[in-house]
Formats: sequence, C-alpha cells, structure tokens
Amino acid sequence: MSDYLDRFGRGQSMCHRWPPFAKLFAAIAMILAATCVPITHGPLVGIVACVIFFAHTMARIPLAYVGRRLLFFWPTLFLMAISLPLSQAGQKGWLLFVTILVRGTLSFSTALWLVNVMPFDQLLATLRRLRVPDVLLAILSLMYRFLFVLWDELDRMRTARSARLFRKLTLWKRWRSAAHLVGRLLIRALDRADRIHGAMLSRGWDGRTRWIDSRREDRR
Amino acid sequence: MHIQDGVLSPVVCAATGAISLGAVSYSVHRLKQSVGDRTIPLTGMMAALVFAGQMINFPIGAPVSGHLLGGVLAATVVGPWAGCVAMTLVLFVQWALFSDGGLFALGANVLHIAVIGSWGGHAVRLLVQRLARDSHQGIVIGSVVAAWASVMAAAALFCLEFRLSWLSSEIDFSKVFTLMVSFHSLIGLGEALITGVAISFVLNQRPELICRMGAPVRPDAEMSRSAHPTAAAITRTVIAGLVIALAIAAFLSPFASPFDDGLEAVLNKLGIENFQLTNRVPGLLEDYDKIPVPVAAWQSIAVSFAGIGGTLAVFALAWLLGKALPAAPQQLSEAAGE
Repeated sequence: MSDYLDRFGRGQSMCHRWPPFAKLFAAIAMILAATCVPITHGPLVGIVACVIFFAHTMARIPLAYVGRRLLFFWPTLFLMAISLPLSQAGQKGWLLFVTILVRGTLSFSTALWLVNVMPFDQLLATLRRLRVPDVLLAILSLMYRFLFVLWDELDRMRTARSARLFRKLTLWKRWRSAAHLVGRLLIRALDRADRIHGAMLSRGWDGRTRWIDSRREDRR
Repeated sequence: MHIQDGVLSPVVCAATGAISLGAVSYSVHRLKQSVGDRTIPLTGMMAALVFAGQMINFPIGAPVSGHLLGGVLAATVVGPWAGCVAMTLVLFVQWALFSDGGLFALGANVLHIAVIGSWGGHAVRLLVQRLARDSHQGIVIGSVVAAWASVMAAAALFCLEFRLSWLSSEIDFSKVFTLMVSFHSLIGLGEALITGVAISFVLNQRPELICRMGAPVRPDAEMSRSAHPTAAAITRTVIAGLVIALAIAAFLSPFASPFDDGLEAVLNKLGIENFQLTNRVPGLLEDYDKIPVPVAAWQSIAVSFAGIGGTLAVFALAWLLGKALPAAPQQLSEAAGE
C-alpha cells in the first residue's frame, strides 16, 4: 500500500518546496478553473489542461504513474457519464457526457498533483492553521496513524482465510465470509481502540490535544 | 459511488457544502459535549475501520464487485454524532490520499454518505428497533432497513442535485433518474446485506460492543444519552420520516419531471426525427431502433421492479437475518473470545 499512497510526497522538486498554503490554494484554484470552464471553449480547456500537465512535470511525477492512476479512475467516471446518453437512447446528452469526462479528468489530475506534492502531515498542519477544530484534527491524525495498522490486520486475516479455504464458495457464502471479515475487523479495531485509550490515559491524556508546533518545519 | 468534480455545478456544490458544513459542525459540537475522553480514539478507530472495510470486496458478477459504505454501521457502533464525524473524515481522507471523489463535490458526498448515512440511518434504525421492542433482532432488522433507506434517500437527493446542476440542458432527466434509481436500489441491497450480516456477527460474538454506545438496549444508557428524551425522540422521528420520504421520492423521481413539460414534447419530436435519420443507416446502428421503443415501457417496469422487488427483498432480508440470531447470544461470546 505504501508505494501506492503518497508516493512522491517526499520529493524535493520546485513544487514540493512551495509553502503549503500556496500548494493548497493553487490546487483549489485549478480545480475551480477546471470545473467552471465551459467545454465548448476548446482553447481555454486546453490551457487548463496544459497548466495541470506542466505542474505534474515540474513536480517530477512520472507520467506512467499518472497514467496508471487515470486508468483506474476512468472506468468509474465513464460509467457515471455514459448513463446520460445511454438513457436517451444515444440521441442526446453527448455534450454533457464529454463535459463530465473532461472536467472529472482535469480535477482528478489536479488532486493527484496535490496528493503527491503535499505529504499528509503537512496537510494536517495546514488545516490546523486554517482553524479546523482540534477535535476533528485529533481524530483525523489518529485515523491516519491506525489506517495502515488495520490494513495490515486485514491482510493477515485475508491470508488466513485463503489458507483455510480450499473449495470455491458459492456467491452467498463468499458474501457472508466477506461480511464476517468486516465484523471481525470491527471487533478487533474496537478492542484496539480500548487498548489505545488505556495507553493514552497512562501517558496523561486528559481529553485535550496538544500539538508539537510544526510551523517552523513548514516554513523550511 | 463517490461524486467526482465536474458532475455537479459549482453552485450546487456550494449549497450542499454549506448544508454539510452545518451538519458536521453540529456533530462535532455534540461530540465535544458528550465526551468522555475515550471518544477521540474510538472515533478515529471507527473511521480507520470503515476505510479499511471498504477494501473488502463483495463479488457481484465476474469483474464487478461492491464494497461497504459504512454510514449505518458506524452510527450503530459509535452513535450518530461520532458516526457522522468518522464518515466525513473517511471521505476527506479518500480525497486527500486517493483523490477519490472531488474536492468541491466533497460537500455533496458528505451529505449523502455521512449525514444521511449516520443521522438518517440512526434515526430509521431506532424507529424500527423500538417497534421490535429493542431486541437484538430489532437492531439487525433496523440496521438493514436503515442501510437500504439511506442509500435510496441519497440517490433521490443526487437526482435532485444533478437536475439542478444542468438546468439549461436539453436532456430528458427522468430517464437518467430511472437508471440511477435502478442502479442504487442494487447498491442499497448490497449495503443492507453487508451491514446486516456484519452487525449480526458482532452481536453474536460481542454484543456489548454494539450496546455500549448509542444503541439503548440498557436502560441506563438511554437515560444518560439525552437530557430531553421527548424532544430527542421527536427530532429522531422527523429525521427518520424525512429519510423514508426521500427513499420513496427516489422511486417517484423518474415519473415526476417538474421542470420540463412543454419543452419535452418539442424535443421528443426532434428526437423522433433524428431517430428516423439514423434508421436509414444500415448495419451498426440498426440496434438503435430497438432501444427507444422499450425505453418508455422499460422505465415504468424498471422502477416498479426496483421499488416493489427491492422493498420486498429488504424486508425478507431483515426478517431472515433477525431470525438467524440465536436466542441467547451471550453464551457464544465466551467461546469466541480470542
């Protein structure tokens, strides 16, 4: 998972060295542009696309990676968009179809750029300076911390299940076993939350969150 | 499942964003109020769990598979406020890590999955659960019905938002809605099944996990949960009614197209002319003449099927899952302890 997520976040390109606020607002501005430009204004759409492409190359994000992510992304967007002309028996709705495809692709690649130039801890620090409530950020950082632990747990459970399983199951049994996997993971996660709570208490947790000030790090 | 940027117009995104912001702020406010100091680790873990749980694939056909959405599951285990916050964070992290779902569409996604899923799902579940006198079966049946109703309500809202996003477009939206509703009634069935089986599994193994927060099986938990029990009950009933009404509206939305009447007639004629043009082209386009005829009939058939079949299936599911629970779940919990 770790080579899939956040893969180029620690790079040292020009884009990576921008201040975090600049990155965030540049991305928001680009997404806004991508979703507002009318599709019939071809040159404008082209300019937006070029700027996004340029941002990717400046951040040294390999094109093959972007392409791979887009390959996984397109089918879902395509299914959503194709339902329009399909429901009109192919007569109308093709313009809207193209609009949704282009806008979706552009804003997806902008978000992909942001993900890859802004590591998650930097995003958290930026959100904190934007005065997002502390409770929310505390929960968010805890979630991010234990996400990977739960993924590993899930991997182990899947391995164990396939080690026990020899036959091909019927559809209903596969559903049931997958739902039981969710339930079992839930039980383990809540037990882990109890242990974490205990560990936090023993380290003096009183319900207030304290942050190591990362402001200096951000400026660097 | 998530709405990407570009599907909805910026104005609709702003409106849904404002509504979601209000709802999530209220949830955070209630969360702060209710807090013991364990809320933060518990909510964080719940969010991580829903995120990881969405990695588990549920096979549908050969290449297609579905996954859990989790709003009702989260609300059942940690209560509506923490559930709403956890689901919001899941959606946010999905955007921030996978760029899954758009940034501007985040408001709409939060409204559909976190707010309707947790608040609405919780209200519907409690309503059904009360009818079943707070038994374990009641919890399972309630969560199955709630999961299905919340997906259908989200579908109805999405249709409305989609229509408002493309007001000037010349498309006949009622047909798009038919497709959406049929599609979502399948998703809703899947969600109901997963949620029901997972919750009945946890109730079998560790009933105290579900009953500890939110779910008022123990009377003391019920007393401490709210200072004004009647006001809270009224609010819950209103929310539950709203969600159920939206779910019903999902089935009506393809029939009622309030915006286009006169325009539609004209466009239909144009459409028929176009269709006759394509008719002359032999070969590949031949199939087109078969499509428009069934579409009109197919629309009402599909919606009726989705409505009646879906509803029946959900209630059968709820009944079966409730039935499958053993009478004394407590005995199992020791045997299953790891």
